[in-house]
Amino acid sequence: MSAVISQTELRRLVDGWIGQGVQVAGPRQVKPDHVLYALLNESGQLAMDGFVRPANSIKEFVYPRHEKLYGYRLNEKEIELTDVELPAKPQVVLAARPCDAAALPILDPLFNWDFQDDFYNRRRELTTVVTLACNNHDAHCFCTAVGLAPDAERGSDAMLFDLGDGSYEVRCLTDKGRKLFDGKTQSSDKVGQAKAAPKKTIDLEKIRSFINGDFESPYWQELTLRCLGCGSCAFTCPTCHCFDIVDEGNAAGGERVRNWDACQFCLFTKHASGHNPRTAQGQRQRQRVTHKFGIYPDKFGDILCTGCGNCTRNCPVSLGIFPVLDSIQKVETGAVEAA
Amino acid sequence: MNIYKPDLMDVLEVNQHTADIKSVKIAFKDKSKQQDFAFRVGQFGIFSAFGYGESTFNICSSSTWKDYAEFCFRRTGKVTEALWRIEPGDTIGFRGPYGNHYPTDEWEGKNLIFIGGGIAMPPIRCAIWYALENREKYGRITIVYGARTVGDLVYRDELDKWAGYKDVKVIRCVDPGGETPDWDGEVGFVPAVLEKASVPADNSVALVIGPPIMIKFSLPVLSKMGLADKDIYTSLENRMKCGVGKCGRCNAGPVYVCKEGPVFNLEQLKRLPEDY
Repeated sequence: MSAVISQTELRRLVDGWIGQGVQVAGPRQVKPDHVLYALLNESGQLAMDGFVRPANSIKEFVYPRHEKLYGYRLNEKEIELTDVELPAKPQVVLAARPCDAAALPILDPLFNWDFQDDFYNRRRELTTVVTLACNNHDAHCFCTAVGLAPDAERGSDAMLFDLGDGSYEVRCLTDKGRKLFDGKTQSSDKVGQAKAAPKKTIDLEKIRSFINGDFESPYWQELTLRCLGCGSCAFTCPTCHCFDIVDEGNAAGGERVRNWDACQFCLFTKHASGHNPRTAQGQRQRQRVTHKFGIYPDKFGDILCTGCGNCTRNCPVSLGIFPVLDSIQKVETGAVEAA
Repeated sequence: MNIYKPDLMDVLEVNQHTADIKSVKIAFKDKSKQQDFAFRVGQFGIFSAFGYGESTFNICSSSTWKDYAEFCFRRTGKVTEALWRIEPGDTIGFRGPYGNHYPTDEWEGKNLIFIGGGIAMPPIRCAIWYALENREKYGRITIVYGARTVGDLVYRDELDKWAGYKDVKVIRCVDPGGETPDWDGEVGFVPAVLEKASVPADNSVALVIGPPIMIKFSLPVLSKMGLADKDIYTSLENRMKCGVGKCGRCNAGPVYVCKEGPVFNLEQLKRLPEDY
């Protein structure tokens, strides 16, 4: 037996949550052919199908792109620091893709090793992730190549399966999920199933051996020559998490904020002396790939990539992680002649 | 707890060393915090000029000094430009101490060789004072310090003070062309001066900090002198923002310099890719 909810009932539920003061986010068509995860004012804005995945990721609901860390004010000669109130509103992220949901447990250890980031942790606690198993994929999806799947449960509190008849099977995976859907579903004998998974493959061992090999390999430069260093890949990636801390205001008062940053920017590692360990775009691409497939798994246990394909989909020159990995595989198997 | 929120510090004293380098003594506004503040030499802090931002500097005072902490900076960007204007009585922010430290316990019973270049004196100075304050625990101390010109030497008064200690040898040098008529130190680049000085290297550890080019050419000299890789230490200066292993900026190969560094010995450094 399964639990099922109709699309109409689901939308009614969403309006109910919003009415109770819950912040609800989900895919929303913001322009023709352009769907983003965004806050919803009412359930009508929720886009459930007709697209592969939103152009951004759900990370911004637990780790906003711009976040105030504290305020400061100068009174005469005395500086006064003011705390930021941590968010208190519960939040539901609805119809997230499994490749978005999986990113959150992957990021948890980073925000908690030794020093615990309360901003991240509070939002994480307040957030319930309701995933929609994927029924379509496009040429850029590769979740199955990094150990996930169109119905991977990691990071989800509940998962919906489109039954194709205007209703969804609801699988509650955690207490948070059960709390949302308890008593709201009908029992049924229909069972949902994710449709056709992406077929792309990566030999992760080959990637490992390449990134552990020659650090100065000319291939990094060659494979990534067309990279413009725009950072779209990092900003739309569910797992990229680098940030900058800056002051907004003047010496009299203002706030200290953190903003998303990206290792693809040329000033990212530039020292005050002018020395820059990564002066070329190829070196910055090497860092991105090495961090995701070597450094992060070694340190925190998981590959820092969920195979969503956003980096390529949003790349002005069609680069992104998969094309780079694919080229690396070819180099490693000798399909490409040595540079 | 908000890990990004600094403590407020009183500026006690500001000293100008060169045309563009100053050092600042600070103490916690909260007196009990000053009492409890403990760090190990080699650790760093993140210092704020409110309205301008944060910068990362080594804590260049000895960890045995309890009344204040000290940092030293070169005026070179937005934050240091703002710090340049501070005066005693002003308030700045401090987060830390962060990172690992010099293994001063393991260095006990050894002779110490300190090699510094330019603005890299402060991160060595804390270790020098620490060793001098625990003089009985360490053997001979040799300090080789160079700068581009005589006017670029920092903590010049302390160089003379250190030279007065028993079994301490101070070799000062400036780059060719950087000497003044009354300069009585060496003229030459740090690696060459170090080689010429034929410092005895038996039972020794070396701490070498300076511009990448100085480190690069000093390392083979130290090896030639007979120091093992595990006895040669340096401190990496990768750019940082958070200091607590989150912002992703200071990666050098597999390490987060802010947490697993900034102090590395040459053995560890050789295992890292050249990403610093």
